Amino acid sequence: MWLFLATEVLFFGAIVLSWIYCRRWNPAGFDAGAQQTQLGIGTINTVILLTSSLVYSVGLAFIEAGNRRRLIQCCALAWALGLAFLILKFGIEYHKDFAQHLFPGPDFAINGALGGGARLFFVFYFVSTAVHGIHMIGGLILVGWIILRARGDEFSPLYHTPVVVVGLYWSFVDVVWIVLYALIYLVGRGS
Amino acid sequence: MTAHFRNLLVTWVLLLVLLGAEFGASFLPLARSDRPLILIPVVLMVAAVGTMFMQVGRGPTIVRLFAVAALVWLCVLLGLGSLDPMTRTDHLVQAANPK
Repeated sequence: MWLFLATEVLFFGAIVLSWIYCRRWNPAGFDAGAQQTQLGIGTINTVILLTSSLVYSVGLAFIEAGNRRRLIQCCALAWALGLAFLILKFGIEYHKDFAQHLFPGPDFAINGALGGGARLFFVFYFVSTAVHGIHMIGGLILVGWIILRARGDEFSPLYHTPVVVVGLYWSFVDVVWIVLYALIYLVGRGS
Repeated sequence: MTAHFRNLLVTWVLLLVLLGAEFGASFLPLARSDRPLILIPVVLMVAAVGTMFMQVGRGPTIVRLFAVAALVWLCVLLGLGSLDPMTRTDHLVQAANPK
């Protein structure tokens, strides 16, 4: 898992590098795009993911102590928080973005001198959040798989390696969002 | 066990405090070139999640090796990749006369 995560670090590293390049090309336009994002939803989603990581880590501590029932409850809560993230992101925030014509296309909302940079920002925004969302869906599948296996009494204090491995992935997806949140919602906000 | 739960909870509170710090800092009237400084709390948040939730330090040597390798590769990627945009100087040139 750590080898996989190392490759994932490079994958998302390239996305961060694209942010550096795109913002350098037209910082004013790029920041104008960032100011159109839904800061409230992004911040709530960050709190949701941080809480989800905490809850999963607590579940891991419970199974290390032999409490399988608490592990299942923690995983179920972490799963529900992950689902809440996806609903907020793709059900509400994307809907608002499209309604405000922020998807780069012929009827893009920001034009003029800032238009090019703002378009680049929203290309970065949609690509990075979509890729992160795909990782979230993968995480939900994995956490659901852990719940099913735990209900089958497959984990104990002596054997719970899958719980540890999925926890690493779940927290890594959280780490990626922590970085994306700052790049998307915060850096261009007050400029 | 209780101490471990307490550490996890303290980490979560620390993460929320750092989140609040970067959220507040984003509204400061910083120069456009200085605005990436807002990312400093992000580094601390990533470190907190890595050490407490992912427990990098508790794993075997091979785990720590891959974690360090990932950071080194990321530094190389971002360091070399950023050289051009960070150091490039733009010179205005006069457009050619179409006549």
